[in-house]
Amino acid sequence: MASRLQQLEKHLTGRSSEKDIKSKNPDDVVVVAAYRSAIGKGFKGGFKDVNTDYLLTQFLKEFFEKVDIDKSVIEEIACGNVLNPGAGATEHRAAMLAAGLPYQTPLVAINRQCSSGLTAVNDVANKIISGQINVGLAIGVESMSKNYGPKALGSISNELKSNTAAAKCMIPMGFTNENVAKKFQISREDQDKFALESFYKAERAVSQGLFKDEIIPIELPDGSIIAQDEGPRKGVTFESLQKIKPAFVKETGVTTAGNASQISDGVAGVLLMRRSMAMKLGLEIVGKYVAFQAVGVPPEIMGVGPAYAIPRVLKDCGLNVNDVDVYEINEAFAGQAIFCVNHLKIDKKKLNPRGGAIALGHPLGCTGARQVATILRELDAGQIGVVSMCIGTGMGAAAVFVKE
Amino acid sequence: MLKYHMKGYSGYGVAYSPFYDNKLAVASGSNFGLVGNGKLIILDIMPNGQLVESNSFLTQDGLFDLAWNESHENQCLVAQGDGSLRLFDIKLKDYPIAIYKEHQREVFSCNWNMIQKQMFVSSSWDGKVKLWSLMRPQSLMTMSPNDTNAASTLSRTSAVAPVRVPMSNQKEHQHADGNKECIYQATFSPHDPNLVLCSSGNSFISLYDLRVPNNGLPQHQFLGHGGFEALTCDFNKYRPHIIATGGVDKMIKVWDLRMCRKMLSQGHQPININEIQGHELAVRKVTWSPHHSNMLLSTSYDMTCRVWTDLSDDGHGLTGKTNSIDPAHGCRFIFMEHSEFVFGADWSLWGTPGFVASTGWDGQVCIWNGIR
Repeated sequence: MASRLQQLEKHLTGRSSEKDIKSKNPDDVVVVAAYRSAIGKGFKGGFKDVNTDYLLTQFLKEFFEKVDIDKSVIEEIACGNVLNPGAGATEHRAAMLAAGLPYQTPLVAINRQCSSGLTAVNDVANKIISGQINVGLAIGVESMSKNYGPKALGSISNELKSNTAAAKCMIPMGFTNENVAKKFQISREDQDKFALESFYKAERAVSQGLFKDEIIPIELPDGSIIAQDEGPRKGVTFESLQKIKPAFVKETGVTTAGNASQISDGVAGVLLMRRSMAMKLGLEIVGKYVAFQAVGVPPEIMGVGPAYAIPRVLKDCGLNVNDVDVYEINEAFAGQAIFCVNHLKIDKKKLNPRGGAIALGHPLGCTGARQVATILRELDAGQIGVVSMCIGTGMGAAAVFVKE
Repeated sequence: MLKYHMKGYSGYGVAYSPFYDNKLAVASGSNFGLVGNGKLIILDIMPNGQLVESNSFLTQDGLFDLAWNESHENQCLVAQGDGSLRLFDIKLKDYPIAIYKEHQREVFSCNWNMIQKQMFVSSSWDGKVKLWSLMRPQSLMTMSPNDTNAASTLSRTSAVAPVRVPMSNQKEHQHADGNKECIYQATFSPHDPNLVLCSSGNSFISLYDLRVPNNGLPQHQFLGHGGFEALTCDFNKYRPHIIATGGVDKMIKVWDLRMCRKMLSQGHQPININEIQGHELAVRKVTWSPHHSNMLLSTSYDMTCRVWTDLSDDGHGLTGKTNSIDPAHGCRFIFMEHSEFVFGADWSLWGTPGFVASTGWDGQVCIWNGIR
């Protein structure tokens, strides 16, 4: 009797399995393809004369050369963009049609500043999880050459300007980094060293051809082809970075063109679907989307975003900072990146192993999707990766992926 | 809804007769099947809708499952707690017409082969699955799905995965190991008389092909419920390669055996094609509908029976969907009339499709329509 009773007890007390994030379940959201264009230098690089709609059309054409899938199964395109009027809702819908996607596939324009590309991934993933769609494409596209300028910051009404909380949203990004550096005592030297590391890592990745697989070459109207990142440059030294004058606060400032992210153009795309759908279509699975969170932080130190978004999303997954194998944290500025790494005690070897935005560039709306394409090639099978960035007006976003 | 109360006995198994549209057999035990007698009860559904006990057989230990003889309308086999299987003739009184005693511990399931109708299979807490013929007092074959030693010596040369139980190392999880030898259910495929599927306390689902001798080890074996006990399994009646399993993780999982074979041969853990969440406690039994290719029934410790639509298939092929996308997780009906754990349930083969008989610890046998 005793053993029969114990058996029943075990049937009742067996805990519900905490979702092991590496387990493979039919209703997982998985990435079957993630690619990006090369990142062009803003105002003087290869993409300086074309707008986002052109970039997107060329990218999508080539994307579906690489990915063997019936385009009509795509039930949603979420397109992240920051600077175009209305986040490019009109011209990007036109671009997807020009690329040969059927008009039956809808498009949504998404703008959460620098996280737009990653938020697009989250938007598509949530729609798959809820059963609204089976397959969706998340895009990030930006032409800072064409759309970055005095108007980029937006404006608030006079009535709001007297409200101190509201007014903080108008602080230019560079000044928020000066605030972070001052508040957390991050020196110019540390920031330049950090920037130098980013250049070294990016240069090494380029020379080893590590970006070849993720970059889709883009053909320009004149027939020339851009297939290489224009941001990384050779011969950057600590001394050369130290010589650059502060960009925002003259004399005492610590943020320079050398230790901040570059102005860039680029496009990236992530194709997501439910695992059962990928199995049905016989597609190879690159990685598993696990979770996403966005958090708010004080706008005047918006760069601290990842320091709060990452713990939040890791908590959802039951993970510690050290459980993650690779972090792709956007380097908007060296100061804020250093703060986040120190605050979370992230092993420097795990941070942006192929360089970050300081060396590669930061095409705002594109960045999140670009990081996904990069991290899924950095990770080995079964490893966990986190993509994160700070967001202007005081936010942070982070997402967790597992490589298949 | 029709109801019958078995006074003093708790139901573990219930089955419609394959020969009479108004006969049911119920396997039960006194004192919740924990200690004391068992009873096989034959119920007749009367024209006025009453359930009437037409015969019963008292046994010395609790009965945990039963199976009607597919080739004889009056014979019914029971799985008994003392390790024996007993065959009763419902036209006779009191005593069994045959006893099959080899298992060392409680027999938890028995299943009759629907194609080779002289064969049946049993599974037990002693870790064995046995194949029997009606005419022989000794078993034809003994299978040991959990034999770790044999599996590890064979694994180098065969496709059998060694039995590895990824149990947690945490202290509070240690006790979860106790039942791992137990084979809760073994069942024949209704499509191929040589296939036997079983689910085990070590969370593994094992598939045997009786034509391939393999020292009692399964041809295929995979982790079904992430380390939690796998309490039940069933073959789909229309799709020969599709099975469903249920376990202590409260989940019902749907698997495609073709994919399982392929992934195992490449050294991967198979991935189920659907999972159905909704029960609040362990799932005790799953049974596919005899009338629909994408409908199944489950019973649970949460005192409910549930009827589900398998959304991974629409009757024509895979949909690429799982039940989690549906607001109700694909649940068609929840039967909440039981007031204790529900163990046994069976679809009626007779009349309008959708009728179900269920039984549990409350001693009630209920007949209800699961498709409204």
